[in-house]
Amino acid sequence: MNDATYLIYIISFVLGSIVGLVLSYRKYTAPYVTKNIDIIALIVSIIGWMLVINSHLITFIPIYLSITIGIFLVALVLGMRPGYGRYETVIGFILAAVVWIGTVLV
Amino acid sequence: MNLMLNILLNVIIAFLIGTILIGLQRKIMARIQGRPGPPIIQHLLHTLKFFIKESAFPKTAAMPFYVAITAMLFVIWVAAVIDGPVTEGSLLLIFAIYTIQKIGEHNAGSSSGSPYGKMSCVRAVYSAAAEVPLFAVLIIIYLKAGTMNISSIINYQSIHGPLLFTIPLAAIMFFVLILSKSQYSPFAITKGKDIVSGYETEHFGLLRGYLMISESIAWYMLLWVFLTVFIGPLSLPAYLIGMVVLSTIVAFINAVTPILNPNHSVMMQVSLAFIGIAGSIVLLMI
Repeated sequence: MNDATYLIYIISFVLGSIVGLVLSYRKYTAPYVTKNIDIIALIVSIIGWMLVINSHLITFIPIYLSITIGIFLVALVLGMRPGYGRYETVIGFILAAVVWIGTVLV
Repeated sequence: MNLMLNILLNVIIAFLIGTILIGLQRKIMARIQGRPGPPIIQHLLHTLKFFIKESAFPKTAAMPFYVAITAMLFVIWVAAVIDGPVTEGSLLLIFAIYTIQKIGEHNAGSSSGSPYGKMSCVRAVYSAAAEVPLFAVLIIIYLKAGTMNISSIINYQSIHGPLLFTIPLAAIMFFVLILSKSQYSPFAITKGKDIVSGYETEHFGLLRGYLMISESIAWYMLLWVFLTVFIGPLSLPAYLIGMVVLSTIVAFINAVTPILNPNHSVMMQVSLAFIGIAGSIVLLMI
């Protein structure tokens, strides 16, 4: 991984966070809700974390591309307005980590 | 890679990572204090916002110094990136840049003509008396590794292991320096909220934007120097993980400690610097 790829990942994170912030303010009107889990956000988070952590399993696109898309999706949920996206992020990360551990052990 | 392109790439990376880490730090602090906290990219959005705001100039400002100081602070941190991640040059140069940065803080405060800025300017001199000795613990690295060249220090560590374990006191002292430069730190007397925003109070619009970019690059560079000279050869993801860990530790400390009285802050830093330098020399002699 060189500096340019690294920069692309960071920009992907920043753009994902900005888009997530804007969309979440449009979608959720209540100011601070910590209990609910949004299914769409959860799916986006799981796909994102899978792409970031398990990019080696996806062979039909280059690894740097899958990580870039994954980081964008992760940031989309992580960057949502305060009170939203936390559980979704944690669940997505745990699932992706479990798959990664499974692939390492197998 | 072309040198200019490499510099540009590293400066953008330093700015973006620095600003995200500051945002992360604020978020963690807020959660510890039971607040929702701003989004992680809030500091970045805040910085960019200033570039589209009107730039007003106080009548009391000492022109053109008031404008030039913001550019100077920005340029010296870009120079630090060139000397650090780009060329892995001399640690002494980074030490010099840090010292100039303290002068920059001082002058940004005094040139605005604001009483808050002037108070911050006086505190910058105070804190320079404490932070510069803290930075001087890097001399311990010279005594141990026999060089002040960053790439040679990295090579030394790849052979002998991380300096963090051989000169831990110096590493702790440098961490205190990092803590001093963080936002809402117990030692952040130049930007204490009792003097509004310290030396930044009277810098608006574009000028404030440049100050905030410098702040982000400075944060990245201090973490980079710590990880490079105390832990050694690291891959880019390892740098990122290290920076996140350090920022998290700093956030925990800042969230639970109030800002100190300027005199207490300086005395504590000077005492720690003395313990760090003397203790490390004793440890080297044993």
